Formats: sequence, C-alpha cells, structure tokens
Amino acid sequence: MGVIRRAGMFVLQVNPILCDGFGHCAELAPELVHLDEWGYPIISSEPVPMADIGSYESARYAERGCPRQALHVAKVNNPAPITNVTMRPPTPVSRGRRRL
Amino acid sequence: MIALTTPYLWYATRATGIVALLLFTVVVCLGTLVANRVGGTFIGRFEVNEVHRSLSMVAVVFLLFHIVTTVLDSFVSTGLVSTLIPMTSTYKRVPVALGTVSFDLILAVWISSLLKLRVKNQTWRFIHWFSWLAYAISLVHVYLTGTDTHKGIGTLLVVGCAGVVALAGVWRYLGRPTRAAGRTALSPLASPPVPPRPRLPDSVPRNLPRPRVPDDFPKTPPRPPGSRGRR
Amino acid sequence: MIEPHVLPRLFAGATNRPLSLADHEEVFRPADNVTNLLDELSASGLLGRGGAGFPTSRKVELLRNQRGHKYVVVNGMEGEPAAHKDFRLLSTNPHLVLDGAEMLASMIGASRIAVCVARDNPTVVHHVEQAIHERARRNLRGPGIDLHTPPWRYVAGEESALVHWLDDNESLPQYRPGRPHILRIGRGPVLVDNAETCANVGLIGRYGAQWFRTLGTNDHPGSVVVSVTGAITRPSVLEVNLGTPIRAILASAGADTSPQAVLLGGYGGAWLRGDQLDTPYSNDSLSPLSLSVGAGIIAVLPRQACGIAEAHRVVRWMAHESARQCGPCAFGLPALAEDLLTVVRGGRDGVAAVARLRERCGVIEGRGACRHPDGVVRFVRSSVDVFAADIDNHLRGAPCAGARSQQRFLTVPSLEHEEDLIWE
Repeated sequence: MGVIRRAGMFVLQVNPILCDGFGHCAELAPELVHLDEWGYPIISSEPVPMADIGSYESARYAERGCPRQALHVAKVNNPAPITNVTMRPPTPVSRGRRRL
Repeated sequence: MIALTTPYLWYATRATGIVALLLFTVVVCLGTLVANRVGGTFIGRFEVNEVHRSLSMVAVVFLLFHIVTTVLDSFVSTGLVSTLIPMTSTYKRVPVALGTVSFDLILAVWISSLLKLRVKNQTWRFIHWFSWLAYAISLVHVYLTGTDTHKGIGTLLVVGCAGVVALAGVWRYLGRPTRAAGRTALSPLASPPVPPRPRLPDSVPRNLPRPRVPDDFPKTPPRPPGSRGRR
Repeated sequence: MIEPHVLPRLFAGATNRPLSLADHEEVFRPADNVTNLLDELSASGLLGRGGAGFPTSRKVELLRNQRGHKYVVVNGMEGEPAAHKDFRLLSTNPHLVLDGAEMLASMIGASRIAVCVARDNPTVVHHVEQAIHERARRNLRGPGIDLHTPPWRYVAGEESALVHWLDDNESLPQYRPGRPHILRIGRGPVLVDNAETCANVGLIGRYGAQWFRTLGTNDHPGSVVVSVTGAITRPSVLEVNLGTPIRAILASAGADTSPQAVLLGGYGGAWLRGDQLDTPYSNDSLSPLSLSVGAGIIAVLPRQACGIAEAHRVVRWMAHESARQCGPCAFGLPALAEDLLTVVRGGRDGVAAVARLRERCGVIEGRGACRHPDGVVRFVRSSVDVFAADIDNHLRGAPCAGARSQQRFLTVPSLEHEEDLIWE
C-alpha cells in the first residue's frame, strides 16, 4: 500500500469564541499550536502543505479532539504567503460539512 | 415475544448491570477530570478525553447487553416496550421505570455525541449535562431493582459508587478553572450570565425630563421578518 | 441648495431643535443632476465614517449581488465614550440620515431599514422616533423604517454585535472567518453603515459626486464631523474639511493648541505627538504615521497631564468592556491594564512590566473574534511609544505632576462594580 499524496495546502483555524482554553490541540498538534500564558492557542495563519502528512494528520486529530469543536482544518487554494500583519488566513475553499 | 427460560439470562442481566454501573462511575469521574483540565505532565489531556469517550462506548455496550438480556428473560416480565417507555413493565414497575428513564437520557447523550460534528456545540453541551441526572437515576434504579442491594456487598457497591460520584461532582464545581465567560451552553440549572449594566458616558446630560409623547403616536414597530429571537 | 466648497454641510441650517421634514427639504433642496445613485457613490469615493474607513460603494456593490431579504442598518450606537458626533447629528437633522439610509436601501434593494440608537440616550431616541413618525405621516413610499434601541456598550456598536443583537437580542460580536463576510439577520444580508456615512450618502444623492469632492483631499474626500474632548472648555462637535491641519481644528474648537499629545480615532486608536500637529487631518496624511481619522475623535492631552496614567484608565475600562468571549481578550486586556498600573506606580517592577507589555501586545493581537483587542493593543503600543520619556520618569521613581494630581482629561465612564472586573 502506498501513501496517499495530497496536493494543496491547509490552515488550522480556531474559532476564538468557542475556544475555552482546554489545550488539547497543543498536545495533539504541537508543531502547529502553541499555548499562550492563559492556555489559549496561538496558531500561525501560514498555510501548510498537505504533503506534510504529519502536520495534516495532527491537525485533523486536533480538530476531532477539541472538546468545544473550535478548530477547523480549512483547505486553501492559493498557496500565496501572508504579507500583512494581522493573522487572517486567505479565503479557504471548502466551508461545508467537516468530514473525518 | 421471544422468552427464554434459562437462569443464565438472569445472571447475565445482573452481571452486566453491575459492570455497567461500575463503568459509568469511571466514565463520569473521567468526565470531571476532562472538564477540570487534568493532565499535561504524565498523561496528555487529550488522552483523558479519549479514554472518557472510549470507555463510555464500552459502558453503553454493557448497558445494551443488560437491557437485551432483561427483555429476553422470561423469569421477569418486563417486555420490550418498557426499554424505552417508563412505567410499562409488570415486574417492579417503578424501579424498572427509573432504569428506563436513565437509559433514555443516556441514549440522548450517546446519540448527540455520535453526531457531535453535526449538532451545535451549545446543543451538545446542554444534552451532556443530563448525564449527571441519568447517573443519579440509575443509582436509585440499582438500589431498588437489585436483589442483593439491601445487605453486604450490594449496599457497599451502591453507596461506594454514589460517594465517588458525589465527590467528583463537588470537585468538578469547586475546582473549575477560570474561563472567559463563553457563550457555550450552560447547565440546565444555571442562570444565564448577566452582562454588567451599561453606564452612561459622563458627557451625556442626565435627568432630562421625559418628553411628552402625543396620543396618536404609533405603536412599537413589528419585528423584521425572518429574524429569530425574543424581543 | 448647499454651495460647494462651503461648510457646514451636514449641519447646514442647524438650530437647537431637530429640523422638521419641511425645514430639511427647504435647506437641502436637491440639485437635479443626479441620475445614477450607484455611479455617483463610486465616483465620490466616500469612505465610511464609523471608524474602519471602508469605501461605502464597495460595500454597496457587494450587497447588491446578494440574494435574500435585505436590510439596511444605520449604526447610531456611538460606542466610543469620547464621541458624540452621531448623537449630535441625529439630534440636529435625523432626516438627512434617514434620506441616506433610504438611498442605500434603494441601491441594494432592501425592504426594511433599522435605525439603532443606544437606549441610554432618551433625547436622541425621542428625536429619531419623531423623525420616523413624521415620514410615516407623510406616507412616503419606500422601505419601512424601524427604530431599535440596544443597550449602550462599547462593543454594541461593532457591526457584527449590532446585527447579532437585531437577530438574537444579545450584543455579542461574532466570529467571521475569511473576507468578505456578509452579516445576516435570519437569512437576509445586511448593510451596516454609520449614521454620518448615511448622511453623506444623502448629500451625494442630492448634489452628486463632483460637489462632494470639492471638499477634502483626493483620497479622502468630503467633510467629517469631529468630536473634540480633553483639554477643552466644553467638549464640542464640529464639521471640518478633511485635510485641515489638526492645529487649526483645535484652535476653532477652542482647545489647547499646544498639547502634549492628541488621541486620534478613539480609545482603539493611537496618539499623535504635540510637535506633529500640523499634519493634515485625513487618512492619506495620517497613515504614514500609522494613524487614521477613525470615528472622528480628537482627544487633547495637555502638558500637565500624565499620559501613561490616562492610558491606564482607558485600558482598564476597555478591558471591562470586553465581551469576554475570547480568552486572549478576556484575560489579556486586564493583564495589560495591570502592567500599565505597575508602570504608573514606578519602581523596579515597572521595568519588567514594560517588557511584559510589549510581549503581551504581540501575543494578544489578532486573536480575538472582533477587533477590540487589536484596538487596545494599538493604543497601548502607541502610548508606550509616545510617552516614553514619561515612563522613564515613572520608572526612576519621579512621577510627573500629572500623575500626582487627580485631574484626568480623557472621558472614561466609571466602572459600576469593581467585582465585575474579571481578574479580581
């Protein structure tokens, strides 16, 4: 069996209103999520290539494991780097139902 | 309906019931550990959550075995209907009804958790609070239906489980972490958070006389169509 | 007919009572040279006057392409405590604002207009009610206008919070991932515009884009209504030409013309140093200094005041006004206020506090659902930058005269209950 090669990029997004600072995401996806001094996640808004299987699976585990369902793995169609300062990701492609 | 006459069904009912009680005790305690953010040094917090989720599945399976063996057993005539509708059993009506109510609540919690990605988080949390109620009712069900719960190890079991869960409940409340006052669902017993009363800015003049409204002034305009919510 | 190149525009014909519909139509007689409203709005280059400065025509075009039962919401909430321009405008000439709202409604095809004014201001509410009643009595055909009165909070004026209040009776800002995001009431898309922006749309609809562009600069045309507070005998509201040097605005308002610093844009804005007061008041001149006109607020800090003590008071109040939905804002802003208090008190703790402030600003920025924490972070960074000399004095144990005196210049509402502060 071969490894499924994925194309494109994804970004892990957190809904800060739903987030309650449980911190499960930082344990499940330590390469993507860091916690601030109050326990809330700091997630970079840079898109990550989906070919990076470890990060992608960590992101999906984090999305499933969040007790408040505050995380969302959004697929990004244009892999352009972020140039502005605010942490807003480019408009993601799939906004429908999340599938595991 | 199918009714089997072997005594092993009765033994199986009792055994699976007791195991389900023990497992649900552990599940509720694990739930309080998750809510109070236990973990991070020796075990991960997400691991506590995963064990809580997996063990609850096992507990539900044992509960289903308990129900199936009860229904199939002809020694006690509870009937299939009494699985979901309380007060329809002929054997020990009220105790079995309590078990039925508890099972209905557990079913709601279980189904909402299976569909967790499809229901809103607020809804899921609201239903999940009822797991405490389900546990309490199931304890009463165990005490009343159980044939050995009036002496010896039976009583020890029920009292022990009740004590452990009561302690867990107290710890859940006292040890709760400070949170940003989120908009997620509250317990059915709690009152909604009251935002602080707004204060007029100092630049606004106060104590102005209320202007007199003419008698033919139109009434409050209707709510815009398509809007939800109370007003 | 209002002449071009002449001020006042929005406050033309103003008396101490609100203009009736007949008087309003007398003063603002249309010029009959406007054929296509949308073209005129795009040509005018009107930027929103609510704080963000987003081009109004782009918002309108976005809403035009949406389907559903559309609404226009006029935002007269005025969440900033230092501002009274919307209240003054709605008390002077509510009909101009309502005209603009009706024009916006016709441009996007909306069927209802909701005017939102804070219920804590019964005078303004009454004036707007009377104006709506007058229009209804005239039986003018057009979208129905409703008056709504949310309770006054700082975040209640934020557009997603306002729309959520209309939808679900709670003034809580909503999470809006990705741009552009359409706000909705039920399933219908909503166009939210500040009251002053609507009034400007009303003027553009009567006199055209060319007339509108006779005032202001190329990139920021028109006139703006400014609330001046702080070191001034009476906090005043005046309409100024965009591009006027700020010193001239202070002079005509009767404020201190050689202040220590001037706060532009509100409590989520930034400070302008006292030696840079000859900068023209418009977005194109202010953005190289990382400032903006914002909601048209100018708060003057005189030389005898303590900048950092004022900043602490403001940040403490802004932390209290957080909706407390998001962790970084609910916990981070009180932490910033505490650090500022440590700096005001001075001493060795203050040095660590300043370093902590800078680090926390970087951590809090951009992680809330709305822009409230971003505004506070911008304010704190600007305060630490502009009042650096003041901070040095405080840290060396020699606080300035302003800190020792009890007089404060920035309007900050007092906190109702101390125990409402989240970190107590």
